[in-house]
Amino acid sequence: MSAPDRGAYAERQAQLLDALLRGDDFPPGFVVADADAAGVALRRKRGRAVAHAWPALALCLGDAFETRFDEFDRGAGASASGEPLRDGLAFALCLAGEDEPLGDDVRVEMLLARASLRRRGIWLRAACLREPYPRLLLVARLPRAGTRQRSFAIGRARW
Amino acid sequence: MRPSAIITRLGPGAGWRPQIDGALAQVEELGFIEVIAESIGSGPLPPGIVAARERGLQVVPHGIGLSLGGAERPAPAGLAHLASVAERVGAPLVSEHIAFVRADGREAGHLLPVPRTHPALEILCENVAIAQAALPVPLALEHVAALVQWPGAEMDEATFVRELIERTGALLLLDLSNLYANGRNHGYDALEALERFPLERIAYVHVGGGVLRDGVYHDTHAHPVVPGVLHLVEELCAIADPPGVMLERDDDFPPPSELITELRAIADAVRWGGERRVRP
Repeated sequence: MSAPDRGAYAERQAQLLDALLRGDDFPPGFVVADADAAGVALRRKRGRAVAHAWPALALCLGDAFETRFDEFDRGAGASASGEPLRDGLAFALCLAGEDEPLGDDVRVEMLLARASLRRRGIWLRAACLREPYPRLLLVARLPRAGTRQRSFAIGRARW
Repeated sequence: MRPSAIITRLGPGAGWRPQIDGALAQVEELGFIEVIAESIGSGPLPPGIVAARERGLQVVPHGIGLSLGGAERPAPAGLAHLASVAERVGAPLVSEHIAFVRADGREAGHLLPVPRTHPALEILCENVAIAQAALPVPLALEHVAALVQWPGAEMDEATFVRELIERTGALLLLDLSNLYANGRNHGYDALEALERFPLERIAYVHVGGGVLRDGVYHDTHAHPVVPGVLHLVEELCAIADPPGVMLERDDDFPPPSELITELRAIADAVRWGGERRVRP
């Protein structure tokens, strides 16, 4: 038997994935109702995975989370990684860029995600937070030690 | 056909997740746990898995990221990780899916079906052979639930899976919930199809929950196991003796009492089917 054509197969799989993730037209022959249902289910699953990895962000957006993430994910279909932590960070950065009020808990989630996604070298960031009390948060990613964080109360908020 | 792997008896099992570790520790009858290979890092094993091994449970790593049904050959790093997890937990076998999860560098975040055609089967067999060569233990392959089906199928699911198992010598991870979902959503008789799967090559069986939404059955692993799936468990055990049968629960975890009740319901279905097989 001759060697299978992996190139043509790759193209067909990429077409199906684009249709499912971005709502592009499905390649000919697919049952549209089934394919649409699969796309909705797939994007809903991706949204749930991001919501689990980003509880503060999900809480911040409330009932709008699913719709907002779906809009983002469809637009980012070509660049989304499928990794909840990474896609959630991209989503949060997109919201921040649109001046969405995200709150301190989401800012902390973003810092911790950026630290976790850092693969090499030393990474250090600081953030002034107001909730639940004024404090300075330091988050670091260190080789071999992983992510570390320290919180320093500011002013009279000391415990 | 490749040499067949020896099949290990596993008994009742459950998918291990940190959220249900405490509940599973209460179930004395468990024979094995299945762990998601990609959730195990290179550091120390999670304490719950160590404790399970100390209890004498067998641990089966379950891969979700090799994309064996993909156009690309499985990545050496992914195979090395699965092999490493298998060795670290002393696994009798590992399992993966008959599916693709990425294409052209993009991740689906979900298991997508492969076309049931001879060219796709050819690529799948090559990918499985690459995986088998890199793994220290036998590989079992799981068919997936899929709302979307590729056009131009040249064979049905049971025939496709049988061809794949016969040509690669791999074991079968039979997922009765996936079979139920596909039968229901694509209009075929799951029980009739079940009998045509290569039941003699079963490594173990998945049983998971799902929900009917807008006329479509979703295999969510986040809802209770439906009676139709338990019926398939009993019918399977009436015609075959699967080495292991396990519950998959991945989300919306119930309290321990509900989880244990689900495990007992599966065990009852296995026993009732087994009694029919022994005394027809």
